[in-house]
Amino acid sequence: MPTPTLTQSIVITLIQCLLVVIFVFVVVPLTVFAERKVLGHLQQRLGSTRVASGHVGFSGWMNRRMWKMGRVPVLSYWRGIPGLVGDVLKLILKEDIMPAKADKFVFFLAPSISMVAAIIVFAAISFVPGTFFTLPAWFPFVGGLPVSGGIADINVGLLWILGVATVGVYGIVLAGWSSNSKYPLLGGLRSAAQMVSYEVPLALSLLAPVVLSASLNFGEMAARMATGMPAWALVPQVIGFLLYFTCGFAETNRLPFDMPEAENELVAGFHTEYSGMKFGLFYLAEYINMTVVSALASAFFLGGPWLLPFGLQGLLNPYLPGFLSWFGEPHAIFFVAKIIFLLFTYIWVRGTIPRYRYDQIMAVGWKYLIPVALVNLLLAAAIRCFAV
Amino acid sequence: MFKNEEMEINLGPQHPSTHGVLRVKLRLDGETVTHCRPMIGYLHRGVEKICENQSFFQGQVWTDRMDYCSAVANNLGWAEANEKLFGITVPRRAHYIRTLLNEFNRIASHLIWLGTHAMDIGALTVFLYAFREREDVLDINEAFCGSRLTTTAFRIGGLREDLPPGFEKMVHKFLAKFSDCLEEYENLLTENRIWKKRTVGVARLNAEDAIALGVTGPMLRAAGVAYDIRKAFPYAAYSEMDFEVPTRTEADTYARYQVRMAEMRQSARIIQQCMDGMPEGPVMAKLPKILRSEVNEVYHATESPKGEIGYYLVGEKGSLNPYRFHVRAPGFINLQSLPKMAEGGLIADVVAAIGSLDIVLGEIDR
Repeated sequence: MPTPTLTQSIVITLIQCLLVVIFVFVVVPLTVFAERKVLGHLQQRLGSTRVASGHVGFSGWMNRRMWKMGRVPVLSYWRGIPGLVGDVLKLILKEDIMPAKADKFVFFLAPSISMVAAIIVFAAISFVPGTFFTLPAWFPFVGGLPVSGGIADINVGLLWILGVATVGVYGIVLAGWSSNSKYPLLGGLRSAAQMVSYEVPLALSLLAPVVLSASLNFGEMAARMATGMPAWALVPQVIGFLLYFTCGFAETNRLPFDMPEAENELVAGFHTEYSGMKFGLFYLAEYINMTVVSALASAFFLGGPWLLPFGLQGLLNPYLPGFLSWFGEPHAIFFVAKIIFLLFTYIWVRGTIPRYRYDQIMAVGWKYLIPVALVNLLLAAAIRCFAV
Repeated sequence: MFKNEEMEINLGPQHPSTHGVLRVKLRLDGETVTHCRPMIGYLHRGVEKICENQSFFQGQVWTDRMDYCSAVANNLGWAEANEKLFGITVPRRAHYIRTLLNEFNRIASHLIWLGTHAMDIGALTVFLYAFREREDVLDINEAFCGSRLTTTAFRIGGLREDLPPGFEKMVHKFLAKFSDCLEEYENLLTENRIWKKRTVGVARLNAEDAIALGVTGPMLRAAGVAYDIRKAFPYAAYSEMDFEVPTRTEADTYARYQVRMAEMRQSARIIQQCMDGMPEGPVMAKLPKILRSEVNEVYHATESPKGEIGYYLVGEKGSLNPYRFHVRAPGFINLQSLPKMAEGGLIADVVAAIGSLDIVLGEIDR
């Protein structure tokens, strides 16, 4: 394998960035779409196939015809996909309103901070250990060179992730403050308190994998947690997983912890005054953050790119036919599948439980989650000392 | 060192959880509410004055539009107040059908309350489940009188028409599945830790305060006072029905939730009894073409889903329309208790309190 020159490695990094951005911008709209679909099914909402027959136009005509033929209309509004496109178009085309007394610069800065902080976290996430794929030889300039499964395989990857994710709080706080309006201010204050509080148990619950894998490098941590522990890392770290995922809900402002934007109390919380694509950036940032939290949870607690829990791969591999042999290997597809499952869990929880009150959230964070996280850390240390 | 001042904030009139156009003026110390005043009047149409300029038959249309979630209950009060004014005796079958529809209406209204209250607290799914069953009740309304929401279901003296064919089947279909549906809602809420955290002990209104403020309906019964006009002063066919008045003593939001859920079960029981014991006979009393009132005044109170709805009618000699008409709207009077419940709590509790009040602004502003 040839050693890449500096320019070549920069180009490869750019290709990786592109892949990650494509991944993010495919997964995020699909999550938004899935949220509608899953919530629709959970809540038994009647969709376009049931109610659009009264509509005018092509879809309505199609619907009526198909009902008449005794079939459920398949094409009616194309199963809601145009709604997704319409939403994005609406966000882009809508008038961008700036409140008269807003702090213009900060008002503009806040959504960018949220978005950038959410997306550059992906720099340290490795989707698959080692080489993801090798570019074909005919590829101009960088042909035959390997593309690794993550952009930056740095040895303090987790630190980077936690640090950058925390910057996202600034976006929300500044948005709340710069709007110069009362509801956003309350939303911003709430989120400052909530997200800072939940950073603590979140970081503590991630310390357990650090202790167990003796590394801060994302890829190494994922590999050791997945292959060095029984049943991925779920058996020794089930408390850690639940803790981390709970705090993840709080970090991403999702139900039951959606305090900063608690719709029925604060209208829309910190982004009440935002419209158009500025609001769209907050919206995107929320979903990207969900993906990040899911990615971390699946990497450290659910075995990351490894399909089967430790031990079973070796047992299964001899029986797999050749073309299925990649089943036993770590693969980005398994990682993405786990991320998608966790994203589904987000939506599932949203459809099931009500919202906590602000003071109750703080109580849960400080009185329960932090002590439990400390105990979990002790447990991990004990496992590290005596078992592994 | 720091300037410490309270923030005044308007909850409404355009706000996701004010159930229409209620405006609540809040003064906040951090997140704690120190001062809370509901401001009303954004939906004022002058229903009472309009009714004074219309004939007795026409007034009923306006009662639909007061509390539009419980139009049938309002119709019933109006019709019975007029019958009292004119001394009309309504056939027994009409009484039964009225009771039946009134209880369906109670279920529909409580379902709206359940859905919106749960949504205010963040449980979105319950909202859609509740509306699914409410749709069936509206279908039953539609089968009976042709309209779904603003029903104008009854006439002074009885009913315009008898039950439509196939009505019984619809009712039985609804009753067969309704208890399962109630269980479905309760599975999502009753033992849900977050739901309990948000409602238990929140927005208390004890019996003494409730009586002093004139609060009626489920709010009062959740404070331990078993006052239900259906039992205390039976009207329509309620004296022949066997049902319980559910009460709780905790007087908080959770107690109101439990009371209303239990009331829906009792309503289903009453509907079943109405269907079983439905007498035969005419549904309309003999009436003159034009009703001319004597000098007379009546006050007739019925138990609407929200509480005591009272109609005060004054007749004039030979007049076609009431001389004076006044509605004792339960929502309006219950809303007075909001400051008592909300002050000292957090801003999220104001939302829970408004939800547990079960207000409809059409009735409060009239």
